[in-house]
Parts: sequence; structure tokens; C-alpha cells
Amino acid sequence: MATGSLRWGMHSRSAPLNGGRIVVIALVAVLTYQVLVPLLLIVWTSLKTIRPGEPGFLELRFTLANYARAYGISEFWEASLNTLYFASLSTFCAFFAGTFLAWAVERTNTPLAKLIGLVTLGRIIIPGVIITISWILSASPSIGVLNYLINSLTGVPRLLNIYSFWGMVWVQSLELTPLAFLLMSAAMQSIDPRLEEASAIAGAGTWPTFRRVTLPLILPAAAAAALLIFIQTVESFEVPLLLGGRARTAVYTTQVYFNTSRMPTDWGLSSTYSMVLLFLSLGLLYVYFRLVRHGERYQTITGKDYRPRRIELGRWKYLTCAMSLMLVFFITGLPFLTMLYASLLPRFRPPTAEAFAAMSLLNYKTLLTEGGYALQPLWNSTVLGVSAATAVMLLVATISYFVHKTRLGGRKVLDFLAFTPIALPSVVLGSAFLWLYLLVPLPVIGTLSIIGLAYLTRYLPFGLRFVSASMVQIHHELEEAAAVAGGGWWKNFRYIYLPLLRPGLMAGWFWVMVHAYRELTISLMLARSSNRTASVIIYDLWTNGSFQQLSAFGVIMFSILIVLVAIAQKISARYGIQERV
Amino acid sequence: MIRVAATIVFLIGFIASSRLIALGADSTELIYAKLAKLPADQRTKQLEEGARKEGSLNFVHTWRGKIARDHVNLFQKRYPFVKVEMGDIGSQDAAERFIAEETAGRHLTDILTLGVPDMAVILKQNLVASYPTPATKKILQQYQNFIEPQHRWTPWYWAEHGISYNTDLVKPDKAPKAWFDLCKPDFKGQVSFDPPETRFMAGLYVMMGEAKTKEWFKCMGQNQPIIQQGHTQRMELMLTGDHAVQGDNYFYTGVEAKKKDPKAPFAMVLTAPVLSFAGAMVINKNTQHPYASALFVDWTLGEDSQNLINSILRGPLTIKHPYLPENVKLVTYNLVGDDVTKRLHEAWNQSIGRMK
Repeated sequence: MATGSLRWGMHSRSAPLNGGRIVVIALVAVLTYQVLVPLLLIVWTSLKTIRPGEPGFLELRFTLANYARAYGISEFWEASLNTLYFASLSTFCAFFAGTFLAWAVERTNTPLAKLIGLVTLGRIIIPGVIITISWILSASPSIGVLNYLINSLTGVPRLLNIYSFWGMVWVQSLELTPLAFLLMSAAMQSIDPRLEEASAIAGAGTWPTFRRVTLPLILPAAAAAALLIFIQTVESFEVPLLLGGRARTAVYTTQVYFNTSRMPTDWGLSSTYSMVLLFLSLGLLYVYFRLVRHGERYQTITGKDYRPRRIELGRWKYLTCAMSLMLVFFITGLPFLTMLYASLLPRFRPPTAEAFAAMSLLNYKTLLTEGGYALQPLWNSTVLGVSAATAVMLLVATISYFVHKTRLGGRKVLDFLAFTPIALPSVVLGSAFLWLYLLVPLPVIGTLSIIGLAYLTRYLPFGLRFVSASMVQIHHELEEAAAVAGGGWWKNFRYIYLPLLRPGLMAGWFWVMVHAYRELTISLMLARSSNRTASVIIYDLWTNGSFQQLSAFGVIMFSILIVLVAIAQKISARYGIQERV
Repeated sequence: MIRVAATIVFLIGFIASSRLIALGADSTELIYAKLAKLPADQRTKQLEEGARKEGSLNFVHTWRGKIARDHVNLFQKRYPFVKVEMGDIGSQDAAERFIAEETAGRHLTDILTLGVPDMAVILKQNLVASYPTPATKKILQQYQNFIEPQHRWTPWYWAEHGISYNTDLVKPDKAPKAWFDLCKPDFKGQVSFDPPETRFMAGLYVMMGEAKTKEWFKCMGQNQPIIQQGHTQRMELMLTGDHAVQGDNYFYTGVEAKKKDPKAPFAMVLTAPVLSFAGAMVINKNTQHPYASALFVDWTLGEDSQNLINSILRGPLTIKHPYLPENVKLVTYNLVGDDVTKRLHEAWNQSIGRMK
């Protein structure tokens, strides 16, 4: 019997309406509702010069005027070129930094590996706006603490300039390194070490083994990381608006913001700009599929028993430790220290004796005494973060299974639909959900459900890439063995795939949970008095308060998350695959 | 097939619900017209009785966080029988959301407050009730321009756009004295602005007309302005010494910093006119709580609300400003036309917003 014919998908062709096909139809229905409706609204609006709600908006008369306005100006193409450079360089740097950290932490005996992983992950909770401001306070030519220290030590003034193109690349790369780290860590945890050992026995050193064995095996995760980082950078907001404006470097988001921010919002133009992201995302998704089309090449999880084992680096382990610590210092340490320093000051100033004398816990005290109102939003965010992450990961695990492990017709549609929301800017997505539930008579307005549903759509593409990268690593032979034993798709999925997907599922769950926790735009669009989230509090502090109070809030959030991640790691270590000593 | 069905359902729902707008709109304005004819004491009595029966109010504040909560709490203290459900989002989001709700026939918001220059779109769609109120009689003479003759909005505070600077980086004798001074080479690469804002550009337009505004944009653009987002954060960065001058910012953050720390290097330029626009209340034409809405709007011009505005260093309308001298030259303005706004934004993008 041919191997493939045992696979569930082959059976399904002869039995068109079985359980699996019904699940696929249900998934298409869910994705259509969650994704296609907002997408349709965007495409429709991009072809209209009339605002939603105005007479004529629903008439079947369309125009390309928005496209001519958006793409007919040289500034757009200049900004696009800048964006290409900005996103490519940031992706390159973040990818390599994240991959190196993942390798050092997961695959080697680098000292302090757990701490390095913990602090890298803890960084994700700090909102991007705080990180960017922290870098301004660290490396602004006029007030940067680093410039102050460099000047004090060497006499060289204003050596660093964060307000530059390279400053933008630097901050954006560091911002997205944890994403690359998470994706690559999950993939590296699932590599059978015997493949690397075979390479070592054949005489290859650590680097050739990494380059020729490890890296090709984790190509799906690498491609997913590069894809997500690139798109995230293209649509990033904080760095272009806080640093790019000062560096006089226009990128895609600056261009969109400048052209659509007038009152009333130009929804037609906003939607038209979104189409660029849509086509870019689909193009990159196509490249991704081309890269990982030979799924069998990456199947490292087979029926043979294995335990992860770390590579012995000898004396080199101190070098990898030093390099990792340096990276972690830039990714998390320096912004955290700046945040901590700022949180203790009444007004930010360079670290002089006078500044240290002025330090107090006043900002924390103010937050804690006036912050009772923040408890409900914090709870709301916790509920939303946990439930959205769980729902997203279960949904994408099912989608990924059908896409990668069956041959059902239309399975690629699932991937396309689940990945499409990456092209929907949060503001457009939030607005689409608002419109949708104003029209659909479900009692979700003003509840956490409406925000949760929007989060589900928002984070599908990210969750999907996390899980897909792990899914392709699982060899068909496991399912074939189950099929011989008479297991249906649900049993296979439940008892074979879900446990083996654990690294990808956990990484994706963590990433979605934290991002749902700090998501602002959708939460603001859909917030009412009873469903406000923690990020709205951050925004309150950002717009009304001061960076010092915002920093104090950031320090508290960071500390809480570090404790949570440490607990999660302990639990994961207890129940996960044991390492070989 | 499923996709087609979902699309059709969506569009049918959209069309059907669009037609629900404006049901009951007349009754709100009728109530207000009748109230306007009553003597003051009877009017107050009817308002309070009506509000008590309604018992609640959905209000969208454009102030955020603590100050918004404090403001509403004061009202609740005075009128505990009206439960206020408050959402606090920015002016632009508030207007967009209000339009979406009303277009869909869901009358979820009773009142919202907006910067008047941001109000054009909801006025154009005829979504707000005309509410004549005697409360505006208390507004001081210098702010009378904010009052709208057709009563579509009720001003209750004002905010400013002005020039300020870091006194460590710019000595008072070298400080800009007028708006065009910001174009001087002394301030090259030192003047900071937010990304384009309708309310700021509208003020410039009213102050100096379209041609001069465009000329100013051009010369500012050549002086390498700093474009950075966030009024509060930009002010903090300036006070820290990151750059020297704010070209469009509110003053209160700097004044507040100076109050906390008298050494804070902040000064306002009061020789140049200060652009001032009102924050105003608008009542939904389809409000479900017309009495509570009216009661709240009147209250915002009352003593409690105006004193709070004063204490948080914003601009009250019925009492003296907390820190600006009386002889400051104010350019007060309300709405400018859509076409003007569009032209100003284009000019801004071509000069100040023009980057590499």
C-alpha cells in the first residue's frame, strides 16, 4: 500500500461528506464571517469616495479615484522605497538576532540560557511606545543618557543619533527580535538531535552543522518569522511616527497617517492604502508556500523516540553567553533600566547627582492610589488575553492540520482566509467590527465578546504561522500508524498532533496572549464603560499623564509578566519532553 | 456560496438599518423648544424631573482617564439619580463612532463632547439636536464667539494652540515673538509639531487666511521642523532638552510641569496670538434620554464643572483662565469648511510633511 493512501485526506475523496469535510466547511464558514466580511468592507470602501453611512455608499457605482490619489503621487513611491529598505533591514537584523538567541538558549549549553530566554520573552509585554521613548531618552543627540555617558567618558559629544534611518532600523529590529526568538525556539525544540549528532560524527563543526543541518530543518519557522517580521515592520506605527518624523524619513505608515488623519477620516483612502498591505501579504505568503512546498523535508518528529539534547560548546559557551547577554541588554535591559530610571523621577533629565537626589516613588504611589479604576480593565485584559489566545491557537491548529496534513480540496483557502487579516490595519479592523455588530443584532456591543471576536481575527495569521511551522515538522508516519490502528482524524489530531505541537502552540499562545493584552487600537474603537482594557489605561497615561507614570506602569507590568513566564516555564519543564543529560 | 450569502445578509442589514435613522428625532427638539419657553425655575424643575425618570445617560467624553472620571463624578455627586455610562475616546474616534451608530439605527450615545473644529462631519449628517440653553448666558464676553447661533453645540471649555519654548535652550530675548519667527534660521530643526491636525490648521487659517497659512507652511517646511506624535510627550521631550520650541502645542502640560517643579525650563510666547477653539457638547437628535442630556449639558457650564476645568489648567468659559493673562491675544474659531480643510492638509503635506 502506498504510504500516502493511508492518509486521512485520501479517504476523504472517496467519502465526500465525512466528519473532516464537515469540519473544513465549518472552518470556512467561521473564517468567512470573521475575515471576509471586514475584508469586503475594506475593498468596497476603497472603491468609493462617499463615506460609509452617507447616501450612495451602498450603490453599485464604483470609482478608482482613491487609487489614483493614493498611488498617483511620487511621495507614496518614495515612502514605499524607504519602507522596503526599512523593513528588509529590520527583518534581517531581527531574524538573525532572534535565531541566534533561540539557538543559544534551546540548542546549546550556553550558561544562563533560561534567564536569557526569560528576559527576552518578558520584553514582549512592554508596549512599543514605551520602548521607542526609552530609546529616545537613551540615544537622542541632545538628551540621550548613552550620549551623556559616552561624552563623559570620551569627550565625544552626540555620538549616537536615534533620530535617523539607522536609529529606526535599530529600534524596530530590537522590537521584533523576541518574535523571531519565539518562532525559532519552538522549531528548535522539535529537532531530533540525532541529525546534528550524525553531522558531528561526520566531522562537521558547530557552525557547519547549524548551517547545513539545523537551519534547513527549521526553514518553515524561519520563513514564517521573516514573513511576520517584514509585514509587522511595514505596518509598524510607533517607530515611524516617533523617530521617522524627526529623521525626516517617510515610510508607508507615515504616508498613510499624514494623508488620512484629517477630520473626518478619509475611509476611502485608508482602505485603499490597506490594499497594498493585502497584496504584499498575499505575495509574501505565496513565496512562503513556495519555500516550504516540500513539506516532507522538514519532518523531524518521527515515530522514533528522541529527547532534546544540547550541543556542547566547550569554551565557546562563554562567548555565546556574552553575546546573548549583550543582545538581551539592548532588547530588554536598557529600555527597562531607562523606564525604571524615568519612573523614579518627577521630570526626566540626564543622570546627574541632582537627578538622583530628586528620585522618589511618587509615580508608583500616584498610580497605586489613583489606580483602583485600573483593576477592572486589567481583569478584562487577562480574560481577553487568555481566551483569545486559547481560541486562536485551537482554531489555527485545526486549520493547520487540514492544510498541511490532508489533501482535501479547498484546504489552501483556509490558509488564505486565516492569513488575510494580517493585511487589515487594526483601525480598519476595529471599525469593521463596530459596523458589523451595529448591524448584526447580537448583544455584544459594550461587552468583552466583541473585542474578543476582533482579536480572534487580528491574531489568526500570527497563530497560524506559529503552528504551521511546528506542524510541518511532524512526520506522516505517526498518523499512518494511527490510521492502521483505525484512528479517525479527530483521534489523530487530539492524541498525536496536539501533544507534538506543544512548542509551537505554547509559543503562539504566549505571543497572542501578550499582544492581546497590550493591543490598543481595536480596544479603543470598541471600548465602552464596561469593557475597557489595560492598554486603554496605558493610553490614558500616554495622552494625559506623563512618561514617568507610564514608565512606572510599564515596570509593574514587566515585573508581573516575568513572574508569569517563570511559572509557565517551570510548569512546561515539568510536563514537557525531558532533556537528555 | 456561503461567502455570497454572508455578503448579501450584510448588505441587506446595512440598507435596512440605515433607514431607521432619525425616528423620533423631532420629539427631542420639540422637548427642547418647549423647555426654552419656560421660566428658569420651571425649566430647571422639568429638566430634573425628566432626568430622574430617565435615570441614566450615555456620554462619550473626549477627555481621557482620571480627569474625565473626575468630571463625571462631580455630576453624579450633584445629580445622583442619573447614572452616567461614560466612554472616553478621542474627538475623532468619538465622531466616527457616533456616525456609525446612528447610521446603523442604534441610538447608543446620548451626548458627546468634541473639539468644535472636529464637528463638521456630524453636523453635515444632521445628527445633532438643536438645544437652546440659558446656561450659555454665563459665558464670558471674550468667549462669546464660541456660541453657536443655531444651538447645535454648547461650548463648555476651550483649548489652545500656541508657541512655547525651553528656556534653557532659548533665552527670552531670542525667543520667537510671532508665528513667522519660527521660520528663522535660529530655530532650524528645533520646532516641533504633531502630525497634521485639522483643529490647528483651522486656527492658522482663521488667524492669517489661506494664502498666508500656506506661506507659513512653506517657510516652516524649509526650516526642517520636527514631526513627532503626542502632545504631552513632545512637551516632556522639549522640557528635557530634546529640542527647543513647540509650534502647535497646548500650554497646560508645560504649566503643570512648572507647577510641580519651578525649575522646569518652560515659557509661553504670549506676544503671538494664541489659537483657541472650544470643546463643546452635542446632543444626539435621537437621544433616548433627552432630559438627562440637557441637564448634563447645562451642568458643564455650572460652577462645579467650570472650577474643575480651572483646576486642571484647561480653559473655563464662565470664569477667569487659570494662567493666561487677560490681555493675551486670542484668535477664537469654530468650524472651517471641508474644502478649506482638504486644501490645508494638502498644503501641509507638501511642505511641513514633506520628507526625504
